[in-house]
Amino acid sequence: MKPRIGVFVCHCGLNIAATVEVSEVVKAIKDYPGVVHAQDYIYMCSDPGQELVRKAIREKNLTGLVMSNCSPSLHERTFRNLAASEGLNPYLVEVANIREYCSWPHQGDKETATKKALTIIKATIERVKRNQALVPLIVPLQKRVLVLGGGVAGMQTALDIAEGGYPVTILEKEAYLGGRVRQLDRTFISLESAPDLVNEMIDRTLKQPNIEVLTTAQIENLSGYVGNFEVRIRQQIPWVDPDKCNGCEACITACPAEVPSAFDRGLVTRKAIDWTPGERSGDKSIFLDHQVCRRVTHQENCTACQEACKEGAIAYPEDRFIEQTYGAIVVATGHDLYRKSALTEYAEDPDVLDALQFERMLAEDGPTGGKVMRPSDGKVPKEVVFVQCAGSRDPDKHFPYCSKVCCMYTCKEARRYKEKVPDGQAYLFYIDIRSTGKGYEEFVKESVEKERLLYLKGKVSKIARQGDKLLVLGGDTITGVQVEIEADLVVLAMATVPNPGAKELARLLNINTDPYGFIQEAHPKLAPVETLTAGIYLAGTSQAPKDIPHTIYQAGGAASKILSLFSRKELVHEPLVARVDTEICAGCGYCRDNCAFQAVDVDPIRKKAVVNEALCEGCGACATACPSGAIQVKNLDSKQVFDMISIVTQDYSLQP
Amino acid sequence: MSETFEKKALIVGGGVAGIQAALDIADGGYQVILVERTPSIGGHMVQLSEVFPTLDCPQCILTPKMVMCGQHPNIDIKAYCEVESVTGEVGNFTVKIRHKATYVDWDACTGCGQCEQKCPTKAPSEFNRELAFGPRKAIYSPFAQAVPNKRVIDPDHCLKLTKDKCGICAKVCPTQAIRYDQKDWFEEIKVGAIIVATGYELYKKENLTEYATDPDVIDGLEFERILCPSGPTAGVIRRPSDEKEPKEVVFVQCAGSRDPDKHLPYCSRVCCMYCCKMAMLYKHAVPDGQAYIFYIDVRTDGKMYEEFYQRGVEEDRIVYLRGKVSKIFRQGDKIVVFGMDTLTGKRVEVEADLVVLAMAMIPNPAGEKVKKVLNLKTDQFGFITEAHAKLHPVETGIDGIFVAGTAQAPKDIPETVAQAGGAASKVLSLFSGVEKGQEAVLKELTG
Repeated sequence: MKPRIGVFVCHCGLNIAATVEVSEVVKAIKDYPGVVHAQDYIYMCSDPGQELVRKAIREKNLTGLVMSNCSPSLHERTFRNLAASEGLNPYLVEVANIREYCSWPHQGDKETATKKALTIIKATIERVKRNQALVPLIVPLQKRVLVLGGGVAGMQTALDIAEGGYPVTILEKEAYLGGRVRQLDRTFISLESAPDLVNEMIDRTLKQPNIEVLTTAQIENLSGYVGNFEVRIRQQIPWVDPDKCNGCEACITACPAEVPSAFDRGLVTRKAIDWTPGERSGDKSIFLDHQVCRRVTHQENCTACQEACKEGAIAYPEDRFIEQTYGAIVVATGHDLYRKSALTEYAEDPDVLDALQFERMLAEDGPTGGKVMRPSDGKVPKEVVFVQCAGSRDPDKHFPYCSKVCCMYTCKEARRYKEKVPDGQAYLFYIDIRSTGKGYEEFVKESVEKERLLYLKGKVSKIARQGDKLLVLGGDTITGVQVEIEADLVVLAMATVPNPGAKELARLLNINTDPYGFIQEAHPKLAPVETLTAGIYLAGTSQAPKDIPHTIYQAGGAASKILSLFSRKELVHEPLVARVDTEICAGCGYCRDNCAFQAVDVDPIRKKAVVNEALCEGCGACATACPSGAIQVKNLDSKQVFDMISIVTQDYSLQP
Repeated sequence: MSETFEKKALIVGGGVAGIQAALDIADGGYQVILVERTPSIGGHMVQLSEVFPTLDCPQCILTPKMVMCGQHPNIDIKAYCEVESVTGEVGNFTVKIRHKATYVDWDACTGCGQCEQKCPTKAPSEFNRELAFGPRKAIYSPFAQAVPNKRVIDPDHCLKLTKDKCGICAKVCPTQAIRYDQKDWFEEIKVGAIIVATGYELYKKENLTEYATDPDVIDGLEFERILCPSGPTAGVIRRPSDEKEPKEVVFVQCAGSRDPDKHLPYCSRVCCMYCCKMAMLYKHAVPDGQAYIFYIDVRTDGKMYEEFYQRGVEEDRIVYLRGKVSKIFRQGDKIVVFGMDTLTGKRVEVEADLVVLAMAMIPNPAGEKVKKVLNLKTDQFGFITEAHAKLHPVETGIDGIFVAGTAQAPKDIPETVAQAGGAASKVLSLFSGVEKGQEAVLKELTG
């Protein structure tokens, strides 16, 4: 069929018409091959302007439109919708941008601008001639969410989505919900009990009928794409039956495996079978940690606990696997602290704690019942030195970034210490005091004044054991004096690092991490909860160090993206995607390697590239990489591109 | 309640917080009414030169979102409007909206701008922070990418409205859209939930009496306009007094912040980063210039912020001086800045060409009325108090009313965007939960 293209040239008031001789353009283009209609109007986007376009489609039986006006980001959709309502396939409409590309940059040079406008329009006509009528892709949407991580970020995201009426599964690798916050003593700045705060949230999570919680569970495998992620989950079945267990502790006594308690940061040990860490005192239960059980670690057939149990509550069933389809995934895998042993200039000493160890010591549900004492001898420390930026802000030896929360929690910990040991003295070494949140500055000021916290601006160069004391050497950069403190206890505010395993998880999910292993957001300002993989979102400290309020906002932000996504019946995807000519494709895989969206794969049997249209964003990176031209983007194939280039370059010659 | 639950949201304030919340809710399938006091959405963010730590220009990253708002079938932007009164409760708020007289029929206005070109009267531009070199006309749109792209007449400066002279705009308007006799008018709408995103303003420079009132002592937003490539100087760095290129620029952080005795006790959170950014941008524009920053603590605590600050010091040779500035005064062609460097313990005296004060962030005074009609609790500084600082940071304690952005406390753009998403998710949860509940009830009734 011969093309019957309509060209519409907009004045945009004077925006275009003052620079481009619009009537000249119409006159020149009227008889261009393929054009059967050309017209100009002061505002093509206005109602009368649109009516002109409609009339022409009907009367001239147009097969394509070239809308010569402003940027496609403004009115491409307007005119495509218009075409659709007149029965013309919207993908046969293209915009020739003669405003941003032409009249605006060439103001005052009418001749050049008019000529250039004509060139842009002609090139667009050539493109439209080879455009195909396309239909948007419809992708089914499984309205179910998988949240990885059961800390406050994960729970808040799950709660927001569940309250919106959609089912959510929380996967938590530990036996308990609550994450890092569950290990804390109090929160800054309100000094509320962290366990109370997190338990209230856990209660809401467990009571929410749309939330399914899978503890001691991890993601095994993932395939699919937004709307349809096929997930395989591995869950350890508890080896202790809570209904039969009477809490007699006979199993604990019998268990031969004793390890440092991860929950109490190694301040005390626990058996492989022991009370569940992090549980509320009201409903304590016994839990067998597979990771430390000799059956797993030593592949032994140890049955000591089973034999000791008079109630027959213990058995060793295999892990179970769950397969489920999810429409969206949220990564909320949290953080850990950088290991103390990495700071070789500081002594490895039982009385040099990291901040989480000190939190466990301050916490009423901790191993000391909230009593501050030195691990080495149980004495109450009278001089405590807090070292901020331990591993943070140290680009030469450790991490260049700021861990964001240490200034505040160190101040809080020092304050709590003083509440418990009023005749003690707290020293805080800092580089800058970063108390930037709401009420934070006031909190630090109040703590200094009330508890006489001694802030010293400077880095600690050495921590060494000297008899009963820990010698802390530092500089006070304000007085310029060397400071030497004989401390009883040292608390290191270790840098925040991603949880171990974050990198592997990122690889499994096909999402990016930054150089430190934090999950990379799609855009730091405008898409801070999205990853570059559609349908995978993030929340909390897995993305970067942050405090609880920021984590809660971010969790809500991730939830809102998912609630938006799920408000649709199905996913509608632009059909402007890559297409493979299997006659030409040699299966080299360059396209796959260059795809940022994991949308292209090579069929191992047929040795041909295959495009997953639901994932393809139509960017064309594959087309430029393909050595044979086998993969092309629909409605922007290489023939179209070269046709446009030859129009644009026809007045230029490569000959000197 | 189920029959009358209005699943439509009102957002007060069209800055980046309001825009993000509106888009999230609208994408979720619910109607949004976005009320903005000025003629265009965009807020303070669109006034900025470039944003830290990526140095993206807001024109590149925010205007697409503004256009999306303008074109979204579920978003109704009511620009140049104010909330007059609110009654009712969650699911059923009645909101009275004042449409301020624009003196232009916006249904007829195509945004062509011919009126603005021909208007003979100049007035200080609020968008350009009333800088001497960036006036606007009496009929104007605040900036080129305004959404909606409509004109308003400033009744205080328009010759027709003040002296019954001129009338040129009416003559040149191709669509006869000018209405000199337009009056404010009111409209009542029903919504189920409200998000307050009324933003911030800067503490007034004049409050700092120890610093001279001088055209070359400017606040952070004024310098943003001077740095902005699409600003009144087209990104060429000039000082207001004589339009000379400043070779020594002093930035004073914590101007009004962290000063419990005389001004505001709190930290304004973003100044450390934006001063570093502005000093960098200044150095990129004036490579032989020198930037000094006075600080108390350098608070660069976001993702990639610390690295950004290091780059400023190492690559752009920004001189950081730890101490407060005690006095700023004019001496001939120069502005003399007296300060302390508490690290060396020495007094510092800089003869500067331009001084930029990182003024404290305060709640936008224009948001006072909304807070009052909604009965919102605020802290002593006027920031909206959230229901719980940790667990309910976007709730206000009144069912169905949420808060986003700097109306709650000073914060940067990523946190604002995240919080706006958080507020939107509360609204989406509420509406979608009600809808699902209604479906369930309906199903039960019909068997």
